[in-house]
Amino acid sequence: MDPQLTSIIVPTEELRHIEECLIRLVEDTGSDYALLLDKSGQVISSQGDGDRQDITALGALIAGVFASSREVAKLLRERDFRASFQQGVRENIFIALIEEQWILCIIFNKGTHIGLVKVLTKKATDELASVLERVRQQHKARDEVLGSSFRTSMEDTIDLLFRD
Amino acid sequence: MALINVAAREIHCKIVYYGPGMCGKTTNLRYIHSQVPKEVKGDLLSIATETERTLFFDFLPLDLGKVRGFQTRFHLYTVPGQVLYERTRVAVLNGADGVVFVADSNKSKMQENVNSLKELAQNITRQNKRFAEFPIVMQYNKRDLPKEVLAPVPTMDHFLGVTRMHWPRVEAVATVGTGVFETLRAISRAVISKL
Repeated sequence: MDPQLTSIIVPTEELRHIEECLIRLVEDTGSDYALLLDKSGQVISSQGDGDRQDITALGALIAGVFASSREVAKLLRERDFRASFQQGVRENIFIALIEEQWILCIIFNKGTHIGLVKVLTKKATDELASVLERVRQQHKARDEVLGSSFRTSMEDTIDLLFRD
Repeated sequence: MALINVAAREIHCKIVYYGPGMCGKTTNLRYIHSQVPKEVKGDLLSIATETERTLFFDFLPLDLGKVRGFQTRFHLYTVPGQVLYERTRVAVLNGADGVVFVADSNKSKMQENVNSLKELAQNITRQNKRFAEFPIVMQYNKRDLPKEVLAPVPTMDHFLGVTRMHWPRVEAVATVGTGVFETLRAISRAVISKL
């Protein structure tokens, strides 16, 4: 199958690494929230204060912003904008790209200095890049993960929920 | 590409509604949002201009619940259809697992349909994906148009290469919901078959 169409499968032990990395980033920078997104906007992991209800929408919007800035980069004949910073009155957002596939996003308030966020994010992106590399190298068969009857069950669910 | 999170036992798939301006992409999402059970849908998020034309995208998360122990989520997006927003469409298409191409059945819109489909093919190929193998469902929308302006289905098949590409094709009137869920079922199945 076309490698671009195969799914990215994040195993349990790698997700633990990701969570540890995000928790450390939040603690060390004193940020409110850290999110790891797939470039398609799906949230892989989120860590931080409180129980945000809007994570899914946040993921879609941030990935959209990043994908849009990538197109701006192309128009400027720039290879990519590796990072972007959005400054609000209370909250700021720093976004960094990991190997064209994942997006790391840190939400922090004025109590945290952007310089610290930049430095520690760089460290975290290196660490997450090696996680991504390991995830990519694992060629787990879909059936091994999902079970062979998954597709049939999924089709039944689709027919049940998406009916006229 | 789909994302399978083994630890959280979650599967995420991204489906994008593509097509020329005013063909009914947002209408499809609005109808789905109005009809699916509350526990399945999230909020419909629209980034539109003051005149309600899509500026960036519409976004509708659907949670299909647990399937064989996996929480399965489909995220539906639309692209802005106007020619001006070509680069925005590239951005929204990023990482899509499947596309619904919404074609306008108005005879006068045939060239716009063809141009938009050509652009989609280019954009998919640019993402290093093979267009011929990419999950696509064709929706012929606005089948309720008056006969004088309505393009016959075989004509649309011919212009859009539907028969040659073996894409599933659905006739629809998205404003009243005809064909909307048939389209969603078809693209969901196509995406799942590629997981």
